[in-house]
Amino acid sequence: MRRIAATRWQPYLFLLPSFLLLVLLIIYPTFFVVSNSVYFWNLQLSPVPLQFVGLKNFELVFTATPFVDALRNTLLLAGVGTLLEFWLGMGIALLLSINLRGNSLVRALLIMPVTLAPVVTGFLFRYMYYREGGFLTWLLLSVGIPVSERGLLGEESSALASVLVADIWQWTPYAAILLYAGLLSISDEVKEAARVDGAAGWRLFWHILLPLVRPTAAIFVMLRFMQLFNMFDLVLVLTRGGPGTASRTLAYNLYQEGLANYNIGIAAAMTVLIVLLVTLLINVYIRFAFKEWEW
Amino acid sequence: MSMQSAVSRRQFLKVAAGSAALLGLAGCVAPVAPAGSSAPAAAVDSIRVLVVGDPFQFALEKIVDNFAEQSGVQVNLESLSYDALNARLATSFVSGASDADVVTVDQMWNSQYYDNQWIVALDDYIAADNATNLGDFIPEVLHSLNTWRGHIVTLPIASYAQGVMYRTDVYEALGLAAPPKTAAEAGDWTWDAYLEQIGQLDGQDVNGTTLHGTVVCGAQPVPVVHMYSQLGASYGARWFQQFPEAPWDFTPTINSPENIAGLAAYKQLYDRSPDEAINYVWFDAGTRFSQGDIGAFFWWTPYFYLIKNNGYMTGELSTIVESYDVGMLPHAAGRDPLVSLGGWSLGMPSSTQKKDAAWQFIQWATGTEAQKQMALVPDYNYQFSDFGRRSLYADADLRAIYPYLDVQLELMGQGNGKLVRPPMPIYTSLEAVYGLNINQVLSGGLTPEQGLATTDTLFRNVLQGNFMLPYQFESYNDTLESTQELIARLAG
Repeated sequence: MRRIAATRWQPYLFLLPSFLLLVLLIIYPTFFVVSNSVYFWNLQLSPVPLQFVGLKNFELVFTATPFVDALRNTLLLAGVGTLLEFWLGMGIALLLSINLRGNSLVRALLIMPVTLAPVVTGFLFRYMYYREGGFLTWLLLSVGIPVSERGLLGEESSALASVLVADIWQWTPYAAILLYAGLLSISDEVKEAARVDGAAGWRLFWHILLPLVRPTAAIFVMLRFMQLFNMFDLVLVLTRGGPGTASRTLAYNLYQEGLANYNIGIAAAMTVLIVLLVTLLINVYIRFAFKEWEW
Repeated sequence: MSMQSAVSRRQFLKVAAGSAALLGLAGCVAPVAPAGSSAPAAAVDSIRVLVVGDPFQFALEKIVDNFAEQSGVQVNLESLSYDALNARLATSFVSGASDADVVTVDQMWNSQYYDNQWIVALDDYIAADNATNLGDFIPEVLHSLNTWRGHIVTLPIASYAQGVMYRTDVYEALGLAAPPKTAAEAGDWTWDAYLEQIGQLDGQDVNGTTLHGTVVCGAQPVPVVHMYSQLGASYGARWFQQFPEAPWDFTPTINSPENIAGLAAYKQLYDRSPDEAINYVWFDAGTRFSQGDIGAFFWWTPYFYLIKNNGYMTGELSTIVESYDVGMLPHAAGRDPLVSLGGWSLGMPSSTQKKDAAWQFIQWATGTEAQKQMALVPDYNYQFSDFGRRSLYADADLRAIYPYLDVQLELMGQGNGKLVRPPMPIYTSLEAVYGLNINQVLSGGLTPEQGLATTDTLFRNVLQGNFMLPYQFESYNDTLESTQELIARLAG
């Protein structure tokens, strides 16, 4: 009987560490955020929650903060950024997969931007965007592209794009390295067989290489979309969300409400909305991108 | 062994849920700093002081060892940026952790820190110690920076007013009347006159440089509010129906005709500024003047000395160092002058166990001797004249280095920080909204009317969401007179 009892306990004992970790890392913080989202709690007024307010904080997210502007910017940043980084990365990966001179040096250099802290990247680009003497401003002016006197970061039409360019510079190499690894994993026999069957150039890429690197690509797109959805560091250093709300992202909005205005209730409600939105978007993506996978 | 020893899935879940709940509860209970008596200063080896990275910090660093020599207490100074300091203090206070023994406090944080009992009132320390010489502090400074609900909650280590800086050579060349240096001479010195002068300066060619009439701060939210609120307040704009006088009524009055006129004037100033000023924070505006292509501008008084450098605290002299002067701030026609007062102060966290040593440091750092020593540090071409004590403005050594002290003292006397930027408990939330909309007005996205109408709506939403509208809590008649009474009472 003792052996039977021990056997019955065993699976649960093995599961216990994972369960406790899950509680500590996910369930408790989630519970904490959800519960605070329905309380009025502003650290400027009180160190503890003051009263239950139901869904009032969710209403205030829309009526007292520029949440809609931030959502629009974030979706734009995440969508366009992911696409551009993926395709630019794919282009670099394809070039790397051709045996050109100096490829090994390029591969070594590619990793460098990824190792920089985003804050450092932000400062680097801030200097390059300076209206007077900034390298990128000079470059644009040199090729005849006008730059407003307010500078790239000061103009509503270019502020968000300028943040995106800095992100693309930093993370495209990451895409290139991942996709290059994916391309390397395709055996020469497969490529040779495709060529024998008449596939070359664009057809080889579209019908053979791209489907075979799809698992890597799908993971990259998912991760980068989520990271871009949480874009904060570059916005803080480059524009602080301005001018106006032109480059304000959801993460910056959250920071402003939680750590500058100390309105924990509204910040918690905002967090709940963001988590729901990301979960929804990622699940839709998974449903399409991973439909042929065991999940 | 019976089957009772076997565990069902339900039992397991019960045990696991119980454990999780216990863990959750343990997490909920924030560590509370032990309340207890403070260690006497003599028994304390060192204290930790958190300061903000502002000019005074560099001067304080140079002389802080003098405190150790006098008291035997070593000071560990840690410097943080504005945002980082605020976030760190709030996190530390909420968790109850004793992070520092003395903290730098912005006047806008007084209500939050004191009402939450994160810092202690200094009244008893001051009353028990004549060496503080409370009567030497400028009452307007103490009222603006250091009092909340009838208590002195901090003491000023760096006190700022706002004044005008202008190019003497350009004014002379154009035959413009120099901004007045005393309140008595400033009867005609209105914002209209200032705007007219800026218009005349704009576009002038000086030694091959085309001048911008002025430079403003446009970056949101804090810098633009710091600069614009001065202009708006001069025009008679007030944020609320009634504050700081009792009874408090936080019904917004931000969309008033006075504020619309003020914001329209600020937009005119921006139109005479470099376009990139839309992104300028505090020092960007100041250092732009020292580049030599700005005619005149108004800003915090630390820029009276900071613009001697060719950049922000570079230590290298600017090309305009011999050709600038300072003057009084204009006032709106038909209105009394009103100057924004700001700066930095030192407070004592309630969590510190070294209260006596902390008080000793606060008293020393805000005292006459230390403030004078800070002003005599020659680094960065002398970078401290932000005195909150009246006696220092009469000091011959200091007047020789900082020739504008008379103007600065007059500006301090016209100050009321609580009217210009009302330090009510959720000020920073309102400032974020306000700054965003002023920025959009400058960029041309909104007219002043639209910008302030939006601000008014958002103010109402934020105030109602924070149960400040209607205001149902205790008010305090927070006037300059009540501060003067407090000073008299504590100074004995």
